[in-house]
Amino acid sequence: MAFLKVFVRKAIGGLVMIFVVASFTFFLIRLMPGNPVTTKLNALLATGTPYPIALSKVSVMYGFVPNQPVWQQYLTYLGELAHFNLGESISYTGVSVTHIILSAAPWTIIMVLTGVIVSFVLGVLAGVIAAVWRNSWIGQSSTFLATFLHGIPQFMLALVLAYVFTTVWRVFPFGAPYNAAIQPGWTPAFIGSLAKHAVLPVAAYAISGYGGWALTMRSSVTSVLGDEFILAAELRGLTRGMRLRYIARNAFLPLFTTLTLSLGFMFGGSVFIESIFDYPGLGNLLTTSIGAEDYPLMQGAFLLITTAVIVANLLADLLYTAIDPRIRRA
Amino acid sequence: MATSPANVQSFYMVKRPNALAVAWKVIVKKPSRVIGLILIAIFVLMAAIGPMLYPPVLPINPLAIYAAPSFAHPLGTDFQGTDVLAEIITGARFVLLGAFFAALFTVLIGTSVGLAAGYFRKWRDSVLMRITDLFLTVPSFPLLIVLSTIWRFTSPLALGLVLGITGWAGLARAVRSQTFSLRERGFIEAARGIGLSDWHILTREIFPNIAPYIVMNLLIATTGAIYSEIGLFFLGIVPFSTNNWGVMLNMAFTQSGAMYTKSGLLYLLSPLACIMLVTFGVVLFLDAVDELLNPRLKGV
Repeated sequence: MAFLKVFVRKAIGGLVMIFVVASFTFFLIRLMPGNPVTTKLNALLATGTPYPIALSKVSVMYGFVPNQPVWQQYLTYLGELAHFNLGESISYTGVSVTHIILSAAPWTIIMVLTGVIVSFVLGVLAGVIAAVWRNSWIGQSSTFLATFLHGIPQFMLALVLAYVFTTVWRVFPFGAPYNAAIQPGWTPAFIGSLAKHAVLPVAAYAISGYGGWALTMRSSVTSVLGDEFILAAELRGLTRGMRLRYIARNAFLPLFTTLTLSLGFMFGGSVFIESIFDYPGLGNLLTTSIGAEDYPLMQGAFLLITTAVIVANLLADLLYTAIDPRIRRA
Repeated sequence: MATSPANVQSFYMVKRPNALAVAWKVIVKKPSRVIGLILIAIFVLMAAIGPMLYPPVLPINPLAIYAAPSFAHPLGTDFQGTDVLAEIITGARFVLLGAFFAALFTVLIGTSVGLAAGYFRKWRDSVLMRITDLFLTVPSFPLLIVLSTIWRFTSPLALGLVLGITGWAGLARAVRSQTFSLRERGFIEAARGIGLSDWHILTREIFPNIAPYIVMNLLIATTGAIYSEIGLFFLGIVPFSTNNWGVMLNMAFTQSGAMYTKSGLLYLLSPLACIMLVTFGVVLFLDAVDELLNPRLKGV
């Protein structure tokens, strides 16, 4: 029961956050120098569109009518948002923002989650190695590698990967999520192409997250190793494998707090990784929408990225509560 | 043994030599710290006098596009035939100045919020921590991009301010938890007992205890700010007011095609190498700062 209560409280917190971010972007657009809503309205009027038609076009685009008082526009906006209506895109004329961002979302979410899982598995293994063999060369080089990779910014990683593996040594294709010559579908050729194009971006996500996991796991394992119950286990004559299981189960828990930070970092990194590898995900959408001054699209992409992070955090919390009985009881 | 005044004086002289001398002694203890200091000094010098060494608009040379490194062009030339070394040197000022302001604002906001939340607790703490959580959760780089649409930050100061606004939350949490534990210590209780004001306790009693931690974070925040700054320029979201390393990367990636030729390697690699070297310098030097400021390590 307590489990459910914790979940509901966190879910409400998440909803409040989404609401704050949605309100923030609403007022942000109104604060902009040369308010894009009036700019768009004037542009339409200048092309000879009659006023009522221009007004209705703009209201469709932004999901509200520009001549209403702000608080009324805000209420309309929130009402539309509750129906997942984010207005129409400006650069893709006549296409709804919801449609565009929902078709972009899978690219980002799948890539980020794959990256998180790969970096998690590798990083945790490296962290255990670094802690258990911390006095030998293997542990020390593992720590060094993690520290080094942890310090490299994502765009640099992605640029170097792209340069080395597509320009200098042409092993992977550059740009685009799949070969445009292949018909999309559940065919082996298409899936193969998809996988081949995904290797470098996933590698960029994974390497950028790897160091953080390895370092957190290393310090966590090191502190558990010093715990008295491990000494007791050793004195009781438990096998090494058994002791490692004890250590792993306890050292694992602090990683869940890192997960929260990591998810935000990874989704934020999609901005770089997607523009460098030309992936049609949310991050790429965000940067291109700003270049095109497509504010409804920008608003939608930002909102969805934030929502993805919040939902992912919620799931991580849920997992944590399920795993650690101490949290459940608290 | 009798203590003469001269002895007392020499005792204090030994105990408290001047700060610079102490710092110097700590730095030269390890060669890695000296390397860190040298790297930082080189880049600070670059930022300080670099733009004075070259004309405001660097000359282009259509006959020497992507020239190989030579005596005249130690790092080769770019897609317009401009000397890459000159671009690196003149580009340092904006990047470093922006990073400095960013770190300053990050620390300023993060420390004030953390101190206030940890010291006052109750409703003020929960309000401040809700805000902090919001900033921690919303991915900061997309937020930065969205903010850049209303705020055409072209000066290092404005850029630094925005980076500070998006990046303070982690520090605030850490400062809060330190303040929390300090608050329970005897000397703070004594200070409250003799009726010192909250302001006095916060600034004179608690702050000095977390100051070393904050100085360390100031340095770490600098490297983070450099990444974000260059990221913004790299994506082409911030208007290009001056030449800097991020603009170079953007040009190398988008317009000049340096990304697709092997001859563009140096043009692409030089700004990346500079970012790494600055970071490397800061990380190496951090070790010396830690020893200087951490009372537990003193005299060991």
